[in-house]
Amino acid sequence: MIFEKLLQGEPSGIFGIGYEDPNTVGIICIIIILTLVVCGVRVVFAASIAGIIGLVELIGFGPALGNIGAIPYSKSVTFVLGLLPIFILIGFLAYQAGITRQLFEAAKAWVGAVPGGLAVATVFSAAGFAAVSGASTATAAVFSRIAIPEMLKEGYDKKLAAGVVAAGGTLASLIPPSAILIIYAIIVEESIGALLLAGFLPGIFSAIVYAGIIILWAKFNPTLGPPSRKYTINEKLKTLPGVLPILIVIAVIVSAIYAGWATPTEAGSLGAFVVLIMAIYNKMKLASLKIALIETAKLVAMIFSIIWGVLIFVRFLGFSGLPENFANWIVSLPYDPYIILLLILLGYVILGMFIDAIGLLLLTLPVVYPAVILLNGGPDVTADQSPFGMSFNQVSVWFGIIVVKMAEVCLITPPIGLNCFVVAGVRKDIPVTDVFKGVTLFFIADILTILALVMFPAIITWLPDLMRS
Amino acid sequence: MFLKSLDKFLSYFEDNLILFSGISIFIVMILTSFQILSRVMGYPWPGYLEISELTISIFAFLGVAYAQKMDSHIRMELLVANLKGRIKWLVELISSFVSLLIVVILIYYSLLFAIDAYKIGDSTYDYLYPTWPAKILVPAGFFFWALRLLLEIIGYSRMLIFKNESPFGIPIIKSPEELAKEEISSIRD
Repeated sequence: MIFEKLLQGEPSGIFGIGYEDPNTVGIICIIIILTLVVCGVRVVFAASIAGIIGLVELIGFGPALGNIGAIPYSKSVTFVLGLLPIFILIGFLAYQAGITRQLFEAAKAWVGAVPGGLAVATVFSAAGFAAVSGASTATAAVFSRIAIPEMLKEGYDKKLAAGVVAAGGTLASLIPPSAILIIYAIIVEESIGALLLAGFLPGIFSAIVYAGIIILWAKFNPTLGPPSRKYTINEKLKTLPGVLPILIVIAVIVSAIYAGWATPTEAGSLGAFVVLIMAIYNKMKLASLKIALIETAKLVAMIFSIIWGVLIFVRFLGFSGLPENFANWIVSLPYDPYIILLLILLGYVILGMFIDAIGLLLLTLPVVYPAVILLNGGPDVTADQSPFGMSFNQVSVWFGIIVVKMAEVCLITPPIGLNCFVVAGVRKDIPVTDVFKGVTLFFIADILTILALVMFPAIITWLPDLMRS
Repeated sequence: MFLKSLDKFLSYFEDNLILFSGISIFIVMILTSFQILSRVMGYPWPGYLEISELTISIFAFLGVAYAQKMDSHIRMELLVANLKGRIKWLVELISSFVSLLIVVILIYYSLLFAIDAYKIGDSTYDYLYPTWPAKILVPAGFFFWALRLLLEIIGYSRMLIFKNESPFGIPIIKSPEELAKEEISSIRD
């Protein structure tokens, strides 16, 4: 009986609930997806399974499967997603290009003379490296090799040296090129250019907060990290040619997005090309290039899979009407919008401890994002009417940056805290517990940064607003 | 041993496909750079945009099996990592099995989608490049994904039956330390 109905393409069947109650189907499928994810099914499959079951239930067998047969191709092969492989390639080429040491030398010369100078230099060179890299853990690995030995040689506290490297790595996710911001943009259908620009200032802001905390700490406790020697202006200028490629990459990407003389994908390619030349100049081996290309392709295949997998589920969610209902429910709660927002962010910290940031964003945003938008007053709200004081476009970019920053904080918190394990993996003499102790201060800095971003949204929205006007 | 030779056979295709995919990204990056320079100097490349869009199909789909082999597809390991013995292998077996089922469904319907594109002569919007060669890469890449999952299923079944054998053909859950080690090995300073 059910099969007959299904084969005729009738939209009712497997649960026997029928088309009248898409909401219940939505809730059942959310339970299915969560159960599968908890049981260790890969996110791409968990999302596809729940999406297919839900679609079959709501629109019938034939239309549902016709739909999902088209989704992997039609959601992946779109011009905007062409940017993703290019940005990931820039990162992997950058690790082979040997620019990090020059960056660190330059940062040392320019900011090393403050208390805790080498740690501050580490923060700023990691921020600079973030301009060619979108991956936190790899950035932490690179700087563990370069910055920690120098800090230890100068008598820096082991925990501080390890902590600053682990935390500095997280800057990569906000400063463009950032893969995770592209993924956010795709899921919520926001302008990629706006998000990439929006990440720029908060990234620098985070770096400044880190630096400020190091200076204060080292001032009160000078044994932690003495300032390094002062450099003459001549010596300072000499370090600049080494960081030129990075400045070119930043200039190309930001100016292209801002002024629109090239698409983000084109600007990214040009940036990758500059890094490639730098890598060849620094005698990159063919074998290293091969590794970089394979690692890039592997990560790209993974990210595309999870994107279309989740979009199958999102297609179903659209039919179920669940996101709207969830959003209405959230808004009807008798609490201040800021309290609700903080609770949502708290949820991200907790979930982020158990699942990778990309998986976390993709799984939660389809439901959480519409709720946040409605909390702000919906898609047509003006800045004056909204409780957060922002228009739709502003709040959508603002929430993206905050959520990504949130997910990155989990890279330095137990139990997973992959950045900390990376530092401990490079430096066998520093146990991972010491790294976790060392990042505590930076964790507090991150919480302060996030609160500041919530209270002063202009740090995030100023650049994209300029671009849009 | 059968499992080992199957793994070797699959790896041959997976390793070459991922390299092909990586080299394609590299070539697209270089061509796109030259294309902008050429355009800025007043010689645009007509139709390049649409071609480069179609190439996304190569990177998005041909590497999925390799990513499965290297255990790169994201999942939450909290529960399975803490299970022991047969129950662990059973959960893994079931989860690989439903994954295979989905991939098979996707192969069939994405193949229909590609065949349909061929039949009706579906093409890109401006320069009318046919889209079926790009669309056929979806079932092609997924075909190897299905084979890799099948190998995993055999591997898990083997563990379920002879639980004292050493694992083969299945991803081993890595601790944060091991993950960190992998991350470190892929870079130079």
